[in-house]
Amino acid sequence: MSRLEAKKPLLFISEPLNKDTVSQSLSLLTGILKSCYGPAGRLKQLHNGVGGYVCTTSQSSAILSRLSVSHRVLSVLMASVQNHISRFSDCGLFTAILCCSLIENFKSLNVAPCTVIKISKHLLSLCMDYLKSEACGCRIWVDFSSVETLLCLVRSILTSKPACMLNKTEVDHLSTLILKAFLFTVPCHVESNAVLGKCVIVPVKGRRVVDSVVLPGLLIETPEIQLAKPPTVKRTCSNMIRIALFCVSMSGDGFNPEEGTITVHHGISIETLELNQLLNVGKQLVNDEVGLVVCQKVIHPSLKQYLKENRVIAVDRAGLSLMEPLSQMTGSKPIASVHLLSPSCYGSLKDVRIESFASKHFVHLIPNDTVVCSLILCNRNETAWDELKRTCETAEHVLQLTIKEPLALLGGGCTETHLASYIRHKSCSLSTSTFRDLDCSRTQYQLVADGFCRSLESVACSLNHDEGEILTDMVYGHCWFVPSGFPSVSNWSDLVSKCGCGINGNTENLNWRLLQGQFDSPAIQGCPRELSVKVVDFLTLDCFAAKCSGLQVALETANLILDLSYVIEDQN
Amino acid sequence: MKTCRARAAGLCAPLPRSLGPAAPRPAAAARTRSRRLSLTARRRGAVPVRAPGGRGGAAVAMAARPELGRLAQEAAALAGAVRGALGPRGGRALLVRPGGEALLTRDGRRLLEALSLEPPTARMMAACACSHRAATGDGAKTFVVLLAGVLGGLREAGGGGLRRALRAFEARVLERAVARGLRRHLRALGGRQPEWGALEALLEAYLGGRLGPGERRPLARLCSEYCRRCAPAAGPRPQVLRLLGRRFAELHAAVAGLPVASSRILPGLVLRRDFAAYCPAGGELRAVLVTEALRPTLSAPGTEFVVDSEGQYQASLCWITQRTEALMKRLQRNSVKLLLSSVKQEEVVIHYAKLYGVSVVECLSLEEVALICEITGVSPYMPFSDNTDGEITETAVATFCQPLLLGSKRCVHIGFTSVCAFQPHCLILCGPVEGVNEQHAAALQGAFTMLQQLFKTVDRREEHQGEGESQTEALDVCSWHSSAIQKQLVTEGISCNSNQVSERQLKAHRDETETQIVNPGLQGSEYPACVQTDLQIPSNLILHIKEFDVASEGDGSSRNVQKQHAKCEHTSNMHEDHRSDSPVVGQKNCSMAVSATHNVNAVTVCERLGVGKDLEKTSCNIVPSKHEKSCVSITQNYSDALIEAGSVLPVGGYFEILLHYYIQYYAQQVEQSEVAVISNVVADALLSIPKSLYNTTEQNSFTKFYLKAIHSLRKNQPLPVNEKGLELVYCKYQLVISVLHCVTELLSIDLIIGIKRPLQKNEDYDSEDDF
Repeated sequence: MSRLEAKKPLLFISEPLNKDTVSQSLSLLTGILKSCYGPAGRLKQLHNGVGGYVCTTSQSSAILSRLSVSHRVLSVLMASVQNHISRFSDCGLFTAILCCSLIENFKSLNVAPCTVIKISKHLLSLCMDYLKSEACGCRIWVDFSSVETLLCLVRSILTSKPACMLNKTEVDHLSTLILKAFLFTVPCHVESNAVLGKCVIVPVKGRRVVDSVVLPGLLIETPEIQLAKPPTVKRTCSNMIRIALFCVSMSGDGFNPEEGTITVHHGISIETLELNQLLNVGKQLVNDEVGLVVCQKVIHPSLKQYLKENRVIAVDRAGLSLMEPLSQMTGSKPIASVHLLSPSCYGSLKDVRIESFASKHFVHLIPNDTVVCSLILCNRNETAWDELKRTCETAEHVLQLTIKEPLALLGGGCTETHLASYIRHKSCSLSTSTFRDLDCSRTQYQLVADGFCRSLESVACSLNHDEGEILTDMVYGHCWFVPSGFPSVSNWSDLVSKCGCGINGNTENLNWRLLQGQFDSPAIQGCPRELSVKVVDFLTLDCFAAKCSGLQVALETANLILDLSYVIEDQN
Repeated sequence: MKTCRARAAGLCAPLPRSLGPAAPRPAAAARTRSRRLSLTARRRGAVPVRAPGGRGGAAVAMAARPELGRLAQEAAALAGAVRGALGPRGGRALLVRPGGEALLTRDGRRLLEALSLEPPTARMMAACACSHRAATGDGAKTFVVLLAGVLGGLREAGGGGLRRALRAFEARVLERAVARGLRRHLRALGGRQPEWGALEALLEAYLGGRLGPGERRPLARLCSEYCRRCAPAAGPRPQVLRLLGRRFAELHAAVAGLPVASSRILPGLVLRRDFAAYCPAGGELRAVLVTEALRPTLSAPGTEFVVDSEGQYQASLCWITQRTEALMKRLQRNSVKLLLSSVKQEEVVIHYAKLYGVSVVECLSLEEVALICEITGVSPYMPFSDNTDGEITETAVATFCQPLLLGSKRCVHIGFTSVCAFQPHCLILCGPVEGVNEQHAAALQGAFTMLQQLFKTVDRREEHQGEGESQTEALDVCSWHSSAIQKQLVTEGISCNSNQVSERQLKAHRDETETQIVNPGLQGSEYPACVQTDLQIPSNLILHIKEFDVASEGDGSSRNVQKQHAKCEHTSNMHEDHRSDSPVVGQKNCSMAVSATHNVNAVTVCERLGVGKDLEKTSCNIVPSKHEKSCVSITQNYSDALIEAGSVLPVGGYFEILLHYYIQYYAQQVEQSEVAVISNVVADALLSIPKSLYNTTEQNSFTKFYLKAIHSLRKNQPLPVNEKGLELVYCKYQLVISVLHCVTELLSIDLIIGIKRPLQKNEDYDSEDDF
């Protein structure tokens, strides 16, 4: 007889968004995310309560993956932002905050969700059309012939992660290194479909950040190599170093697991056979003038000794992750059999050196064509290093995205406020046929557009964690931060010096107004003007692709959650 | 909107009371566990039943008599549960499975399944709705709403005694209303070869009931573009649509974390794994498909390899390597640049493939292999079976083969050259979360099923003229067993979705249940046992279609009987079978052009008829006479069809309003009061659908819509339509028929008997492949 288990009833929640628990969790999550945002964001310490590793961070990728939410509806939001991060690495907090405030703003409107979704989709298409048009006033072209804009982009990413604990010199040093590392990975000779190389981050913890360095080629850690006696490497006639790359084990245990039985007669040692075969391979390698042997797995000590005696450097346990860049860099094909060696598998290197950082020894492989490089990344402690590594990866990813689409958006909240003022202006001048298409009234449209703009502005506001006021100007629609401690009714032009992104100075009267307060009818707002292109040294920039996608994902996720009319949960 | 949402919530409320698993079930279950052989009355009106000697003395445990009130209440609760997701303004549901994974859906079938219903009759309603959905790709939610309407109406009209009149209603009122009333309003999508533009209107309306408001239009556009690229011929073809529906899992790839707007169509196929070896090759290339490991092994399972000398072992290993190399050389000689393998290959194979410039893709699923075979017409290559020098014949041609980055995953993108009508294209679906992509994929797969209904017609079964009356009655008896036979419903404890139980199981059930039947005197000889599985076979039309191969013989014979009767009136009846969607290309091609002109003519004739208010004459009687000289047989074909292939109506309750109006109109001409009562019940129930659709809006209320529509119908003006979307009348009509059959079935149940033998649950309703 089957075991009878008490069956739990099905949880059927209709209108989940109207539940208090959801609203509370949502506002808590919004609070956490907003407080992390930007260069002045507050750090979060994540720990599991039983000791061990503690993570200090303000990055969405670290926080969202570790936070558990009580309600299913919110896990949709979290999953969505995490997916965005895995695609773009950047703008995770922007997406999350925007999504939360869109939900809160739209929920408070007294408009049917279906209508809200239709209108907000239309607003999004307005935004996207604007961002992709030439007339867009909040984006700039990235000029790849000079490094200025690229440095600004990298610097903005580094400064927006306060948990890396970097000072200004360190930021400058690191942004140069990251950019250098990225430029190494761009192939010199571009064919029809160019593939970017790879930058491998080598961890060195416990050193100063300024000790970090970028080297062309790869570093493989080899604890056994003595620094005192650097080996001389055998070179071929063309002064190159020939390299053989093995992806099979060379330890002599090379039995392939076969399904049948293999019977070995007495007196025959398969192990000896294997070893002899390995030594034969060694002989052939020496004959073929191979100077360096790299094996993904283990090399038998006898073979190693043999190779050493013949002045061939043998490096084993390279690991799977290095195989692809190794093969890419040297042009060698990983050898998968120790039985037949083909000379066409060999690759070549310009030089091999022995390097040491902190207490670690590395073999440094220097290729002819540098599409692969190593970034030796130093930071004082484990936590800060982890944060820094994530940041460097983000920066590298952003640079890759930027090379595909050479555009950048103005950072420091300026894109958000600029877009908001564009939408406010645009939504006043729509024709009635638009409303008919959307099956809504003008008032409804205005309400939703206002909610949308307020959500965008609230992201800009989250950059400010002090008491100070946040302004926007009526000319360019940029975002301005007033230092805290000044009364709110004062002459704004005395207090502000530069807008959030740093492109505008306080030169003309820009007709500021408070961003969050009550303001006059939005109808008087003109279309935000486009800036004359001027290159300023310290601009704050954001990744165009990541922010555009983040904007769309945030709105789609918010719509998804607003559209939920019930949750059916099987609790068994 | 707040109010309407609240109303939806209110309608949901009865669910836990009457349907939830917290029903009195646990107590009853516990009782039956302790006293296995005892008979327990479960509900009011239950009768103790003793089986006449079941196997090993196992007896029927519980029995209950279903009541109409109870049925109506259950159906209403079900309708309340799905109504929130109905129509273009419905919301989404987030389903959380026991494992914790979340699923976003608006699909009626998924919702009904997720409710994990307890009462057997409710489960049967859900099963009927789901099987209707599986057959037509649409309408599970509407089914439940309509069913609730009909059952509620019947309860108010005075109970289950009207059951017999349902059949008469269908024959005498419903068909007449469709043939003489509704037909005039139908638009034809160009018969056998609909245009692409209309496809988008159909898709948008369909997706409106399935996706969020912001997604339906881009997805409909994408889907119709996809169909267009996959079948570049003049219009959508049934075989291409069928392939799309069947193989959609392999024909799309999903990327989470990107906006929906990034979804796109790529030429060729995308295999969702990386190359094991990639050697760039420009231009056209040849590919082979293998299903076995290419590296020979020393010993196979069950064999033994004896190593008797070192040299021999060494030589064997060398031989293996050489053999692998030789094979790769051979591929290179035959200019094969791509190796597609369904199994994982050894490192050596990959190594030599790289050396000889052959790209390798491993671990293809069986479905992917089947799809590639289907598109390219090749069969897997057997490397060791034939002579090793000859040319490799089984090669597919690809125009390109390159890596593709989807999200952060590297995939293989191959442009196969097709040998069939289907041009391979891959749909890349993007959405912020996995759940959205799944929802989109499921909706599109359903859409392909729906589009296949474009090519189906509804046959006119009989002419119901005065003298035909007696024949109709006779036919009723032979094809409508459920109305004549009292049935017993055996509930199997776990599930009622047993319509796909294998033959063997079914037989076993029959054997066992036969002994449990209490009153065998009622059974006809043909249907010895009325197990629940059997119950659905004879009466439900959809199940007829579904189990076509199994039941085709019996079905065909009964149809022949019908045909003979029909021949009394239509002597020149040549047409055999409209409903079977057999791809006889020749017949289709020759009838295509004629059908188009015919359709136009038919419509004009019908309109003229409508103006003349000569409703008593059916259009089908006139049309043949007009075309007698040119194309008698073909027009005959169409005159036989009640609803022609590709007939559409604007979406948004127009079908229901029209049918409502004409049912009431023709009900006045029926003498039998019972049929008239049924007509009113069904006509009113039909309105429950537009009611649910329109009551969720602020501006267009139902009353306004209803009055406008009825007003213009009375004045014989065209209906005021402001919807661009279209829906298939075939699907809608089938829905009404299925609901009526489901009602008849429910009312025919005499007893609900609980048994204790577990029954395997078969979750998959989607077996649209087999018809």
